[in-house]
Amino acid sequence: MPKQKLAAVVTVYRKHSHAQHIVDRFLDGYGWHGEYHHPPFDLLGMYVDQVGTDDLSKEREQRHPSMKIYPTIEGALTLGTGKLAVDGVIFVGEHGNYPKTEKGQVQYPRYQFFRQIVEVYRKSGRSVPLFNDKHLSWNWEWAKEMYDTAREMNFAFMAGSSLPVTWRIPQYEMPLGARMREAVCVCYGGVDSYDFHGLESIQCMVERRKGGESGVKWLQGFEGDSFWKALAEGVWSKDLMQAALCRSHTLTSPREGFNDMMPNVEQMKQIVKDPVAYTYEHHDGLRCTMMLMNGLVRDFNFAARLDNPSKVVSTQLYLPMPDGRTTLATFFSPLANNMEKLYLTGKSPYPIERTLLTTGLTAAGVDSLHAKGARLETPHLAIAYKAPKESTFERG
Amino acid sequence: MLTRREFLGSSAAAAMALSLKAMAAGKEPVRVAIVTTIYKYLSHGQHIGDRFLIGYPIDGEWHQPNVKVVSLYVDQKPEGDLSGARAQEFGFKVYPTIAEALCCGGKTLACDAVLIVGEHGDYPSNDKGQKLYPRYEFFEQCVTVFKQSGRSVPIYNDKHLSYSFEKARAMVQTSHEMGFPMLGGSSIPVTFRLPDVEIPIGAHIEDAVMVGEGGSDAMDFHALEGLQCMVERRQGGESGVKAVQLLTGDAVWKALDSGKISKELLSAALSRSDTPLGLSDLDGRVQDLVGDGVLPGLAKNPGAYLIEYRDGLNATMLMLDGAVKDFNFAAKVQGAGNISTQFLLTPIPNVTYSACLVQKIEEMFLTGRAPYPIERTLLTSGMLESCLESKKQNSVRLETPALSVTYRTV
Repeated sequence: MPKQKLAAVVTVYRKHSHAQHIVDRFLDGYGWHGEYHHPPFDLLGMYVDQVGTDDLSKEREQRHPSMKIYPTIEGALTLGTGKLAVDGVIFVGEHGNYPKTEKGQVQYPRYQFFRQIVEVYRKSGRSVPLFNDKHLSWNWEWAKEMYDTAREMNFAFMAGSSLPVTWRIPQYEMPLGARMREAVCVCYGGVDSYDFHGLESIQCMVERRKGGESGVKWLQGFEGDSFWKALAEGVWSKDLMQAALCRSHTLTSPREGFNDMMPNVEQMKQIVKDPVAYTYEHHDGLRCTMMLMNGLVRDFNFAARLDNPSKVVSTQLYLPMPDGRTTLATFFSPLANNMEKLYLTGKSPYPIERTLLTTGLTAAGVDSLHAKGARLETPHLAIAYKAPKESTFERG
Repeated sequence: MLTRREFLGSSAAAAMALSLKAMAAGKEPVRVAIVTTIYKYLSHGQHIGDRFLIGYPIDGEWHQPNVKVVSLYVDQKPEGDLSGARAQEFGFKVYPTIAEALCCGGKTLACDAVLIVGEHGDYPSNDKGQKLYPRYEFFEQCVTVFKQSGRSVPIYNDKHLSYSFEKARAMVQTSHEMGFPMLGGSSIPVTFRLPDVEIPIGAHIEDAVMVGEGGSDAMDFHALEGLQCMVERRQGGESGVKAVQLLTGDAVWKALDSGKISKELLSAALSRSDTPLGLSDLDGRVQDLVGDGVLPGLAKNPGAYLIEYRDGLNATMLMLDGAVKDFNFAAKVQGAGNISTQFLLTPIPNVTYSACLVQKIEEMFLTGRAPYPIERTLLTSGMLESCLESKKQNSVRLETPALSVTYRTV
């Protein structure tokens, strides 16, 4: 059987951009389950929106001559023939220089590129599976339109972060049907970037609860002093935050000379100058809080309080960053492997509704912070779905 | 995939954390004397010792061991020494001799357990490149106090027992004769694994390859412990080592090309690495280090520690400085194919893998039983010394009748 053909549409292809991590794995392969795995596809066309002095796409094209770079998205998808000529599309609209909104969101052109991609599908009378890296769009209405379009045109649509599919330390799987009261993720990074990863970390766990996902009623953002006030008032549980922090491998010590020490809240205030939290309530009453605690941790740590029997569970979702810790962002390997399943089966291994919801939560978080921490009702996030029976995090 | 320690961290470790708590409930704290070469930031003495003072993260909790550090001996006080500051803050004394530390200044043993950390500090090296840490000497001084006091307590000895197998053997023999439990070795056998696999007890292992980096004789010991904690689970249990050979330079690549060392298993081990160097470092690309033939260009001073076990298993530990920066293992197991994993050495400064080790040390201190046999570390101590002797003798194959160390893992 001939290999399926793929095209890639990316914003920028430089060292450690998401496009480099993801597309490289389709070109060069990756270590997987005890062997070096070459994805069974021919990646033939690519569109790169921004080509800077640090560009690597030309080097990749030279080393993989069967892959050609086209000046337009249409060219990449049609391989210059004018008609859709591939069986799947890799779409990575992360990194690159794009203007920011007044709320500080980077206006990655995911919606615009998506429209160009589906335009080719429409003209060709044929749609193929599409992977969209990270959230769908910084703009909720556009994200919803992307979702609706994929449904209408009936093509497999997969999106999101590596967090739901990466390794966990320990290898904890949330039991399907668990009764759950509260969940938190303590992580790091910026608003409208890593907050999304933290939200996906929570969502891939809590979507497995009894009754399935019911959507989110409201969200409130906290930053700076209001974060510490909310912590003191018990807006989220201190013991869950502590449980998550105890899974970190990068906890900043509050005292010189001690390498691994748990800071108290007063010490945390010294360490974390600009903390951010999004607290939100699901329609079935579940409360979740995503915390960005820059300076305190450089990893993603999850904890939840389960009922019947009552217990706290916790784990780290492993993101070995190439920031000196590693050279390969190996969490992209499980993501690439799930993308392979999308292209081979024509079905997304996990529901796009997860990422539709986290896209809306990210935008609501930004909006709430912009509105000075106002609690925002989120009727548009009444997104209900069922998690797949098999959790898709990496264990092999 | 074979037996997965699916919920190691969440159920087995949780069970252990619970049982450590249960064991400690209502009991007086275990009095611990710390005997260390140095106590400065990020020395093993500090990061292991501190966990008994301020607790450590395990199973999603900050666990405070039911332990009271009662005394400390430090052999050297280099710039940055923290021993005095710790003693003052945590209410114990730094004593000028090991005997006084164990007796807390009195005449007889006044502690319930001893933590010996003879790693780091300024000590000479021998002609095999081994640093001559005085672990045996520290141990002997502890034992002298035990004998004088008519009472023995558990001893943890960090890393290998001694640079000398003869000394290491004497230490183990003493602990058996006097009937006190002893634990030793590296964090590698007890750290997190990615993925969380375990060789089933009684497996028929056909071949095994371990990859490490970081130089001799510090990091090669860790890699040998990684290899040993996996292969000791094979059919018949540990049989000891018949011969060793340490190849260096081109001889390593020739051994790979000739099939003496399995390329398939090396590839399997390296498929678990997060840190290929060379082109991955340059522009982030993923590399098939074995298939692309780039290893000789990256690892300029490779070492292959060939281990022939007495039951016929041949295994290899490769030190590939310059190619990767992590520790990975693969074995061919009859009926199960290749099993491979990364032993996760978590980032500096937290080195949370040492919390996994301290949990095991605490378990021995509380229960009076070593969670795994000291013979593992006796054997790896001897393997290391013999391999370095082989290197000194131009990579000759050395028969090692003394290494007929047999044991069964739990």
